[in-house]
Amino acid sequence: MVTPLFAFDFGRDLPPLLRGAGLTIGLVLGSGIAGTIIGLVFGTARSAPLAPIRWLASIYTNFVRGLPILIILLFLYYEIPLLFPYATFSQAITAVIGLSVYSGAYIAEIFRGSIQAVPRGQLEAGEALGLNYVQKMRHVVMPQALKIAVPPGIGFLIALVKATSLVSVITATDLTRAGRNVTSANHEPLATFLVVAALYFVISYPLSLLGRWYERRLA
Amino acid sequence: MSTQPMILAKDIHKRFGDLEVLKGIDAEVDEREVVCLIGPSGSGKSTLLRCMNALEKFQKGHITICGHDLTGSKTNVNEVRRDVGMVFQSFNVFPHMRVLDNLTLAPMKVLKVSKAEARERAMALLEKVGLVDKANVYPTKLSGGQQQRVAIARALAMQPKVMLFDEPTSALDPETVGEVLGVMKNLAEEGMTMMVVTHEMGFAREVADRVLFMDGGVVVEQGAPKQIFDDPQHERTQAFLSKIL
Repeated sequence: MVTPLFAFDFGRDLPPLLRGAGLTIGLVLGSGIAGTIIGLVFGTARSAPLAPIRWLASIYTNFVRGLPILIILLFLYYEIPLLFPYATFSQAITAVIGLSVYSGAYIAEIFRGSIQAVPRGQLEAGEALGLNYVQKMRHVVMPQALKIAVPPGIGFLIALVKATSLVSVITATDLTRAGRNVTSANHEPLATFLVVAALYFVISYPLSLLGRWYERRLA
Repeated sequence: MSTQPMILAKDIHKRFGDLEVLKGIDAEVDEREVVCLIGPSGSGKSTLLRCMNALEKFQKGHITICGHDLTGSKTNVNEVRRDVGMVFQSFNVFPHMRVLDNLTLAPMKVLKVSKAEARERAMALLEKVGLVDKANVYPTKLSGGQQQRVAIARALAMQPKVMLFDEPTSALDPETVGEVLGVMKNLAEEGMTMMVVTHEMGFAREVADRVLFMDGGVVVEQGAPKQIFDDPQHERTQAFLSKIL
């Protein structure tokens, strides 16, 4: 009995992989957007003039950054519903929540760094003109900080594409889990995971291009 | 209350940690007066200037500026800053906004002036500093002297009663110093009340009504420019001027 070297049947095996890729893209988009919003709020709070606000925000960022995503996902999926039965969500929703919590903490630190990278003189110029804190942040600091945040932010999103593969531990059928499912049917891991790898590349490479385009535009 | 000085500082003490940089400063600037602060680096000139619009806090003493008491805990510093324009050594123009938007931002947001009026006022100010043709350019495309003139126009757009200048020409290429000093001189001639920290002794001599010489956190000597530059009384003033003139 000779096993064919390439038992990967595109007509049969590609559609489930594409559905998995669809979930992966959804996870990146959902948690990327939610994480950016969380990151903006906590990143601003981390550089707030009031110390208690800074401390509260740093509890979140330091706590979450100290946890493996696996632990966050497992806790949300298996433990939270036991503690709060109403907080029972599907795998996909739980995955988005977990990844958003995780992304928010990292993106908050990117924003904090970017806000602090805006030269002090810019803040003083805003203050000297009589702008209040909100006006100064909105019109002077944030537009400059966001520009600084784009390259590391894109770097983080590229890493996030890969991090989504961990959601398979809560049985969400993302690209990685779809690959494992297909493999267990066609017994062709090499070709299957080459396709899986190619799909991950197709998802993350446009982000690299976006980053390169942005840096060239700035130059 | 025209008899009240525009700026009145009494016994200002300021320390950074253990370092006392202002050791009891008294200073006064009358309406329409131009006062230049000179002295060696580290003498506290810039720190004193920055106390005037609350960019620095001081530990002891009193400052009244344009009728605002900076010592009062209820003082809204943003209200004080509406009346007090400031120009920095490093220009600090907003690089993400066109020149015109640099000038209209604060009047629109702080004074709630309409966009049309703010633009009109801004164009008039750009005319005054000779940069009308740069209205729609980003400041990064401008020379240091041009950026500093934008910064002066930006401060003037708030129609301040006092202008503070913190070494406005120290970061400039020598050939652009003149254009900035020229704008400042015109401003002085129009009757603007000005407090200027400067190393440009020619400007101080020509434009200032009064010169304060500071050293080691105290005002060592003050008087008319002619008296300070031609007949300094204190030996520290003499030593400083002999090195710099």
